[in-house]
Formats: sequence, structure tokens, C-alpha cells
Amino acid sequence: MLNDQNKRALQAFSRGDMTAIELRRRLDGASYGDVLRLLSDERLPLPQASVAGREEQIDRAHAWMFPDRVA
Amino acid sequence: MSRDLKLFVVDTGPLITLAVADSLDYLLLVDADVVIPDAVLHEATRDAARLGAQDIVDWVKAHRNRVEIAATKAYERFDLARLAAPQLHEPDLGERAAVEVIEEPDRLQGAERGLLLCEETAVLRRVVVRDRARIVEISTLDFLRILESEQRIQSAEQVFALAATAGRHVSRVEKLRAQNDATRAAIHALVRRRDEDE
Repeated sequence: MLNDQNKRALQAFSRGDMTAIELRRRLDGASYGDVLRLLSDERLPLPQASVAGREEQIDRAHAWMFPDRVA
Repeated sequence: MSRDLKLFVVDTGPLITLAVADSLDYLLLVDADVVIPDAVLHEATRDAARLGAQDIVDWVKAHRNRVEIAATKAYERFDLARLAAPQLHEPDLGERAAVEVIEEPDRLQGAERGLLLCEETAVLRRVVVRDRARIVEISTLDFLRILESEQRIQSAEQVFALAATAGRHVSRVEKLRAQNDATRAAIHALVRRRDEDE
């Protein structure tokens, strides 16, 4: 059962305002599976990392994954 | 396995997220060899006891021609230590194993490139500089969005929405509770030691 402080931390993580590492530390070393279960229990969405600042990296991955389409 | 692109699954997040959304096959929609360090598979199956451990093991078994479970010294040592301390837990085991696999001198040869699929590790920061030109790190959602943009899947967001409801799929609990030993044995059976392939 989450206390209010940890619930707020989970909400912040879900919004993308807190890193997974920081959340897991606050939750006494919770695993990724634990976090997924807690998000599910609280009916919160998984965080979606911002693309900003990573565009070049993602574009490169795209080109490697589908070289014919991107070329 | 001899494709130019290697898809390294370097932490448990992608495996668990995709498994609970019944979407592990999405990893095969790219013309790439999938490489999962043994310790990452171990952590994913342990961590996912309620969330799809057996699904992950079954999926790996079904796709041995595309999926390599890479043996690491880190996991070998951990597994030996567990004989004396069955409850042993090493929080960074998966990350250490992933770094070990990526840094194997002959892991990426010639024009081969590596895509690191992860959620939250700092793996890339620990990879030696010589490999960074041909190694890119992306998240599960980045990967899914690329598949969506290529019209290989309908919706990246839908996969995440499915994963987010996974904890409510309680029917998996009983199915997997007694399978820790079985999944451990399965990992042993699935590990492909590179010297055996050569």
C-alpha cells in the first residue's frame, strides 16, 4: 500500500517529472515490475519520455531499423 | 544469426512491457538479431512473476533462430553465489551483464551496428567510446513509435496502455507462482554460450 508521499512520487513519474531510478529509490528499490504493478493499481499511464534532445539518436535508430525506407 | 543490426535488450523494461501487452513479437519486426543478456532474462522472469515470466521464456524458446540469450560472467558468478545464498539479489546485475555483452570484442564486427533497447539504465555511459559511433540507445516507446511510423504496428500508445493495465490481470498470479525454479532452469537451457556456436 502506497503512502501519500509515494503516491505523489508515482504520479510524478507517470507524468515524466521523475526518473525511474529516483522513483525506485524512493520505493525502497522497487523493481520495474513493481513500478508497473503500482501504476496499474493506481490506474496511471506509463511515462512517455520526451523526444526533445534525442531526435538525432532516434532518427539514426530509425535509419538503421529500416534502411530501405529512410534512404 | 548474422544480421548487420543487433537489437540488444539491455534491461528488463522492454521485455516486461512488451510481454504484458502480448507484443514481444514486435521485437522481430525489424531485420535484426535480438540479443538478451542472460542476467536480463533472469531479472525479467523473476521480476515479472505476476506479469508474464512464462510468456517471455516461451517466446525466447519459440524464436531461438532470432533471439540469442548471451552468456555472461556476471550471471555465472551470481548463479554460483545463489547456491549458497538463494535469496541473493544484485540490483545492477542486468546492467553489468549488458555492458559485458556489448563490450565483447567480437560482438559487433565489420559494418554491424547495435541498437540498445532499454528503459532506464545507464548502460551507454559505461560502453567504451570506440563503440559509440555504431551504438544507439532508444526506449521501448521510441522503438514502438518507429514501428508505428513504418506502419508495422497500429499504435505504440496502445501497447503502453495495455501494459499499464497489466497489474489488474491477476489470473497470471497463480499460473506463475510456483515457476521460479522452472524459469531458472529454462534460462540455463536457453543460454547460448558463444564458444558453443563456433
